[in-house]
Amino acid sequence: MQESELMVRRIKEGTVLDHIDEGKGLQVLNALRIDGKDGSLITIALNVPSGKFKKKDIIKVENKFLKDDDTNKLAVIAPKATINIIKDYKLVEKRRVSLPNEIDRIFRCSNPDCITNSTEHIESVMDVIDKEGRVLKCRYCARVLDVNKLKYN
Amino acid sequence: MNEFYQKDIISIKDFDKAQLEQIFVSTEKIMKLNPIERREICKGNTLGYLFYEPSTRTRLSFDAAMASVGGNSLGISNISTSSTQKGESLADTVKIMSIYSDVLVLRHPLDGSSRFASEVSSKPVINAGSGTEEHPTQAIQDLFTIRKEKKKIDGLKIGIIGDLKYGRTVYSLLYGLGNYDVDVHLISPESLRIRSDSVYEIKKKLSFTESINIEEYIDELDVLYVTRIQKERFPDEEEYLKVKGSYVVGLDLLQKMKDDSIILHPLPRLDEISTDVDHTKHAKYFEQAEYGKYTRAALLGLILNENGF
Repeated sequence: MQESELMVRRIKEGTVLDHIDEGKGLQVLNALRIDGKDGSLITIALNVPSGKFKKKDIIKVENKFLKDDDTNKLAVIAPKATINIIKDYKLVEKRRVSLPNEIDRIFRCSNPDCITNSTEHIESVMDVIDKEGRVLKCRYCARVLDVNKLKYN
Repeated sequence: MNEFYQKDIISIKDFDKAQLEQIFVSTEKIMKLNPIERREICKGNTLGYLFYEPSTRTRLSFDAAMASVGGNSLGISNISTSSTQKGESLADTVKIMSIYSDVLVLRHPLDGSSRFASEVSSKPVINAGSGTEEHPTQAIQDLFTIRKEKKKIDGLKIGIIGDLKYGRTVYSLLYGLGNYDVDVHLISPESLRIRSDSVYEIKKKLSFTESINIEEYIDELDVLYVTRIQKERFPDEEEYLKVKGSYVVGLDLLQKMKDDSIILHPLPRLDEISTDVDHTKHAKYFEQAEYGKYTRAALLGLILNENGF
């Protein structure tokens, strides 16, 4: 483990989200609803020097393993992030995030006149039309959406 | 089996050039049939319409189209008299209407409403206008009119003027024109330029220029497509008044246009084309309205007949 990551305490079981784009750490916490209310140890490091991308944010969460929806959120907010699964203090799995072809439910369409924002029983579906550019399109109203303006369900 | 059989018509983006041509050829065929033969095409079929926004032309055009191919129509054209006023959801209304009809026609103020309706309907859904999103059958009618009047679409210079922000016919037409090799010139007040969230997709298929000055390219255009300022979609009256009457196409402008250029308008018209233009050879908007009946009849014939007609 690099020196920068040793600045924070190790966790026994849980997840380390590393290489989060600089300044996106708090947004990731909010999107993943990591608030510490369950008493788990959470360590957040912002603006950590990183040779690869100059600076990065890191989040360590004890006793949390990401579900698919969480991974998709992370892929949209912090596309360079890596997910490290820790078991018994050891790194057992490391993977990069990647955008799926479609993202269901987790984001609300930012077009207020979209049918998905009405009182109809309908869940949002976003098609990822450009994975590299992180361009999402609402499958219903067909608007191309600004990923920085998306709201979470 | 014809590929349009039982197909939803939600977005013009779902059609490629060959499919559009198939609709145009079917439209020409319908126009040539005598009324008795024509009435055999959808005999015994029912069109159900749900209009959550006011419409005269589109609803009557579908009514007339269905009658011309021998079917009948029923539905709700005035929201205030329907059970939706009691709070019924769009989903329930669509489900019920799809029990009573063979094909559904929906106009609704929200974007994406037709796609949602097509998911809950047991019958094919035709989008007759969804918010500011799309109006695909209008685009088919517009493209057919250009093809019919100019004998081609490829190679033309097409100007689109007016309310490009809120006019759903504009988006559908642009997506449709993306299948052709055309030069498009967009003319609008600064505040009514096409939406940036739609340009992303249009730019991938179509090259266009934008300006606020109608005179700039007027002498080069083969087609001038004029649209109404969509008063009902403005957030406030003051904003509307700032742009109301921005452009008026009159006889003076026609003198600067190519001799064989045509003027189209999806209608209804307010003051953006003066009535003295109606009598000139350039005015093709009433023919456009007539072709709308036949393009819709052709679509209905293709959707409702497994082997076409």
